Amino acid sequence: MAKFLLRRAGSLVVVLLSLSVLVFVLQRIGKADPVRAYLGANAPALAVTQARAKFGLDQPMLVQYWNYLVGLVHGDLGMSYSTRRPVTVELADKVPATLELAVWALFFAIIIAVVLAGVYSLKGPVSGVIRLVFFSLASAPSFLLATLMLLLFFMQLHWFPAVGRIGDPSVNGPTGFYVLDGLLAGNLAYSWDAVQHLVLPALAASIGPGVALARVLADGLSFGMGSNYARTARSLAESERSILFRHALRNASSPALSMFGVLAGSMLSSLVVVEQIFSWNGLGQYLSTAITSADFPAVAGVSLVLGAVYVVLTAMVDIVLALVDPRVKLA
Amino acid sequence: MTPVLDVSEMSISYGSRTPALLAVSDVSFTVDSGQCLGVVGESGSGKSTTGLAIQGLLTRDSSVTSTGSITIAGTELDPVLETGWRQVRGRKVTTVFQDPMSSLDPTMTVGRMLTFVTGSKAESLRWLEEVELRNPAVVYGSYPHQLSGGMRQRVMIALALARRPALLIADEPTTALDVSVQAQILKLLRREQAALGCGIVFVTHDLGVAKAMCDDIVVMRKGRIVERGSATRVFASPESDYARHLMESRLTMATDRHRPVGLPEPTVVSAMVEALNENRAVDEDSAAPDATASEVAVPDATEPPAVTAEWEAKALLWSRFRPEPAVRDGEPEAILEFAGVSKSFHTGGGRRGRKPVLFSVSLRVEERESVALVGESGSGKSTILRIAAGLETADSGSVRRPRLHADDIQVIFQDAGASLTPWLTVGQLLTERVRNSKRGGAKSRAEIDELVGVAMDRVSLDRELLRSKPGLLSGGQRQRVAIARAIVIPPAILLCDEPTSALDVSTASTVLNLLNLLRHSLGISVLFVTHDLAAARVISDRILVISDGRIIESVLSEDVGESVSSDYGRRLLDAVLS
Repeated sequence: MAKFLLRRAGSLVVVLLSLSVLVFVLQRIGKADPVRAYLGANAPALAVTQARAKFGLDQPMLVQYWNYLVGLVHGDLGMSYSTRRPVTVELADKVPATLELAVWALFFAIIIAVVLAGVYSLKGPVSGVIRLVFFSLASAPSFLLATLMLLLFFMQLHWFPAVGRIGDPSVNGPTGFYVLDGLLAGNLAYSWDAVQHLVLPALAASIGPGVALARVLADGLSFGMGSNYARTARSLAESERSILFRHALRNASSPALSMFGVLAGSMLSSLVVVEQIFSWNGLGQYLSTAITSADFPAVAGVSLVLGAVYVVLTAMVDIVLALVDPRVKLA
Repeated sequence: MTPVLDVSEMSISYGSRTPALLAVSDVSFTVDSGQCLGVVGESGSGKSTTGLAIQGLLTRDSSVTSTGSITIAGTELDPVLETGWRQVRGRKVTTVFQDPMSSLDPTMTVGRMLTFVTGSKAESLRWLEEVELRNPAVVYGSYPHQLSGGMRQRVMIALALARRPALLIADEPTTALDVSVQAQILKLLRREQAALGCGIVFVTHDLGVAKAMCDDIVVMRKGRIVERGSATRVFASPESDYARHLMESRLTMATDRHRPVGLPEPTVVSAMVEALNENRAVDEDSAAPDATASEVAVPDATEPPAVTAEWEAKALLWSRFRPEPAVRDGEPEAILEFAGVSKSFHTGGGRRGRKPVLFSVSLRVEERESVALVGESGSGKSTILRIAAGLETADSGSVRRPRLHADDIQVIFQDAGASLTPWLTVGQLLTERVRNSKRGGAKSRAEIDELVGVAMDRVSLDRELLRSKPGLLSGGQRQRVAIARAIVIPPAILLCDEPTSALDVSTASTVLNLLNLLRHSLGISVLFVTHDLAAARVISDRILVISDGRIIESVLSEDVGESVSSDYGRRLLDAVLS
């Protein structure tokens, strides 16, 4: 286990390094001039030169990169060109916003997967209709889903709010995860408000992955119920229910878990779009403004955070996978 | 005394297949306490369906229909209706299944599985001891993949016996195991049966196992029982044609290795006639200048009835098919030679994690010679074959294939179905082989078609099948297609990796007969890898016994029974069921 964690920590470093190189090179190749973005198009030449020197942009590229790395090791992601604030400060409230949304979306995806996998194994017209509906929903891009949900649940039914993370920002909690902050402050109304804001965006991001996951899980379950070990269990007088829960479910979860790891990664990127639609003040929104203003430190910061989250997530999935299937060895 | 199992006029059909398949038709038999009844048959005989029915494992699929009844320990049951089975299945009748790896839940420890049945850890440990597992406490905490095949099957037996059933179904319980492990498992089953006094239904395709294990036998074919009686009687003097055919196909250490195995088969006979006529044509050609001599030299017994009669009379010897005299000048030349070959494989455990599989192996296959490599799983025998084929390279030592180029080496694998490209027809597969070869590449369409047709004749497959895809063929047919592909351009050496072990008894004997015919009539050398000493003896001139990556003995097939001297070799010999 220790060896595994060490190895994953190593790969985290490698991923972060290559991401930073990639972003750095892209920024240099790109036409956009960060200093112009910083000062505005009509700034005097002197100011431009000074700003260039201030950000170290007049130095050779390798030196610039080295400086960036040194800062990174000290926990400094640099200064945003467009907002003139440290990127770490900017990210401090965006990261929890996106992670909170991501956690809920993953949670919804699992629920959808389990429920649908159950529906898949049933027979009859109702199950057919449900499968069709979810299949069509899953094939729609997430921005379309998000818009549809807004139309239905916000404009027509007024069930859920449509914009932002919270209605009344009364709690200024320690974690930045609003539901948790509300609970910590003993303000249940605040938590509930946060939950209501979370439902639509999380749902929009989770339907596609959930349906995909459901198919893998349902396949695994039906394979498991027809397997030789299920036959053995039957021949030893185990009930169908017991076979499903004691044997098939656990065996079916390992392919579903591997799939889950992949889906979680791609869901992170789909959140960028969802955040735009729901005006969710998270990494996605931040990233899209940063890209348009050639704000390299900001873009790099977000990329590094997402990369780290992805590596940690895969490591977690692998650990759970090894717990579920004794044949899997952590490596 | 009432029997523990009474199957009465049972018929079962699968409605989901089109046309509906009548798998079992009007089958009746009984089993008493302490009796072991063998249900013997080849694939498609209905023996497996019978086995499933008497465990009540056909009640989930509503498309399966049945007539007749099953009475287990006094409870009358319907083969396909769940009513009443709940009190019987898993309590009065339990099963030891074929493949213990897939039949045990990979995510569950042996202890958890067993305690579900026994109710307590102490009782589980006692059962693990009962089935002669060393170190029961360790096995108790192990997962199936951490155990060997034999250990897994012992666990399976413990699971099945722990409820003290009145009836035990053994569904090919030793088929997936090594021969020496097989003998131990059979011994264990017999001992436990004596201790518990349960009746056993032993479903198997392996006649040797049935003979060793069973008191009585029913022989099934196409869903019907074609013969029944005491094991001794059925094996000694089978009454039905089919049973006689099966018994004759069985390979033992007493099988005459100089002539074809089993009873005459029209398909093999036609291939033989073909070969004889070809030889005669060659003789005529070579003797052409002297017309009178050729008339005298040419034998005329080359019509199928004559060959059949000769075979039936046990007078047809393989030596007849040799086109030229076996005596040659000087030393026979080696065609494949290993000298001190070692090989190890990565096990993935770090940089130094290598597992040695071969230790300084030396062997020699001469022109026209057939050598069998006999060993159990993990002995390294398949690795030798793969190195000989050039599919793997040796770590050290030398592999010489004098005068051989790619065309001259062909391999036939155990699972022929998997080695045939599923979307190509048999004809395309064979044609492709000819086109990709050096000798056949430049041939015209008509010449290739002729070659392909002749190859089909040689393995006694109907030329009509050239238009079929492998998926539509039976296991035996697919194996013969694989052989046809290997010999369509006759190689100098044929490497065979257990080509008969996945086949039914009679199909296996056909394949062995064809291989023997090909090696005698075409003069092909053979390296034959197998775990079955009896098969090795029939197909080869010389047998190499291999164990743990070392060749420990080399004996002539002619007198293998007497001349095997190593302990391991004797153990393999003892494992061949008479």
